[in-house]
Amino acid sequence: MPAHSFRLLSLGIGIVKLLRSSDWLIVPGVLLLAFFFVAPTVEIALSSIFDEGLTGKHFERFATKGAYVEVFRRTLVRSVWIGILCVLIGYPIAYFIVHRSLRTQVFLMLLILVPLWTSILIRTYAWMVVLGREGIVNNALIWLGLIDKPLRMMFTTGAVYVAMIQILLPIAVIACYSAMTEIDRTLPRAAKVLGASPWKAFRHVFLPLSLEGALTSFVIVFMLSMGFFITPALVGGRKDAMLANVIAHNVEQLNWGFASALALLLLVATIIVIVVVRLLANRFVGVRSVGMAP
Amino acid sequence: MSRKMGNPGSILLTAYTVAAIVFLFFPILIVIPMSFSGERFLGFPPKTLGLRWYMNYFSDANWIELTLRSLRVGLGSSILASVLGTLTALALARSQIPFKKAITALFAAPVVVPTVIIALGVFIFAVRSRINDSELTLIAAHATIALPFVVMIVGAAARQVDPTYEKAARVLGAGPVKAFYYTTFRALMPAVISAAIFSFFVSFDELIIALFVMSENHTLPIRIWSDLRFELDPTIAAISTLLIVFTTAAMIVADRLRRRSARKPDA
Repeated sequence: MPAHSFRLLSLGIGIVKLLRSSDWLIVPGVLLLAFFFVAPTVEIALSSIFDEGLTGKHFERFATKGAYVEVFRRTLVRSVWIGILCVLIGYPIAYFIVHRSLRTQVFLMLLILVPLWTSILIRTYAWMVVLGREGIVNNALIWLGLIDKPLRMMFTTGAVYVAMIQILLPIAVIACYSAMTEIDRTLPRAAKVLGASPWKAFRHVFLPLSLEGALTSFVIVFMLSMGFFITPALVGGRKDAMLANVIAHNVEQLNWGFASALALLLLVATIIVIVVVRLLANRFVGVRSVGMAP
Repeated sequence: MSRKMGNPGSILLTAYTVAAIVFLFFPILIVIPMSFSGERFLGFPPKTLGLRWYMNYFSDANWIELTLRSLRVGLGSSILASVLGTLTALALARSQIPFKKAITALFAAPVVVPTVIIALGVFIFAVRSRINDSELTLIAAHATIALPFVVMIVGAAARQVDPTYEKAARVLGAGPVKAFYYTTFRALMPAVISAAIFSFFVSFDELIIALFVMSENHTLPIRIWSDLRFELDPTIAAISTLLIVFTTAAMIVADRLRRRSARKPDA
């Protein structure tokens, strides 16, 4: 009994504390998320397995139609590639920026941010204009005499890659840069003082310390590219559709159940890849730091 | 620390970074001159110049109607997200809420989940609750995806605010509202405005949720999207230019405010 009443008492104190403290400030935000994030996610999960009773037909349709599996595979493979390419291209840029004076850093980061602020729709439109038959790239190549007929660049997989990299590269640079600003700059210098060549100082000191940031940068770009919708539809060909495009198509056709099943697969695949990357990273980085210990 | 310029690696890296920045700006900077073309079809460089496509935009009642709707929805979700996000950030910064980690994760989740999934969920939820095709629903949905950014930006600023000032104001006789307003709120204001500008553009540029939820009452991105699927109307070049200028100017202000608020104040 004493334990029971003690619990009741502490619950009462808890409620009074909640009302008197600033904890209740969280309630409106939680309500918005409950209605417009949690409830919709639950709706998707339910729609994918219920249709007048429990059903596996949506997942079965996915698994038995080669075209859907192909779109799934393409979305996954493309997102991994975009993630890798953005980190490979973005890492040296971040490295360059972080080694400038503070004023220059702020200015250069602004140059990276400005393109990011323009909406994806507008940036994709800009690529349509640039890569079109009469676009600047074709006109310039003809003017230079390199080609005599316009190249077909629009509606190709290459165009999707170029546009997606331009759209996501700033994010990779920002993620790498913010990780690099955390690195103690005296460490690579100490390595050089102790006789390491610049390359060795980078390879054995700076690179391992920035690897975590590079991986975070990969994860963010990968995640964003898994949900890409506008760019593959506008600059890609018929064979460039990604999962989000197929989901949208099924929403138009009022196949909510199937769209939900695809959405769930997209979510689960994204989470699995992120978890796997994290696990590999822990192991990889862990082994490395053990190797570095004296 | 600037390293010695002049070694070949450093020159190469400089050239590389310049090339990358040119690549990032290239398509955007091509669209701007093209919007001043007087031709029916877009070619570069434009053969004749004119404001033809801007006139086309401003004289088209539908473009203007959709622009106004997007502005309304953007403003609504910006206000909703920044108010709720600020309250949340204050609660998370100040107290030891039970399940603090889980709640923090919940507030970050809408950024992690692909928007198409949120769009589908909100669409099914809205149809079942009979609130689809409504500006209010779109405002709430956009506020949801903007909320994590507000919590992040205002949260970073809230951690720099010393709660002793507010307590001191209380001790000196100010009421709770007055004490909050003159100390914490004023210190947070730049961050809140920055977050509000940011949220506005999260909504103003958003396509997929609007596309699913708004079957009749279209928004500006929906019209741009559906026009682009059929032809390259140069009017969109004019709209793009207006948006690029408008977004860049507003975001530079937002970025300045955010930077200022995330720094430790001089005591």
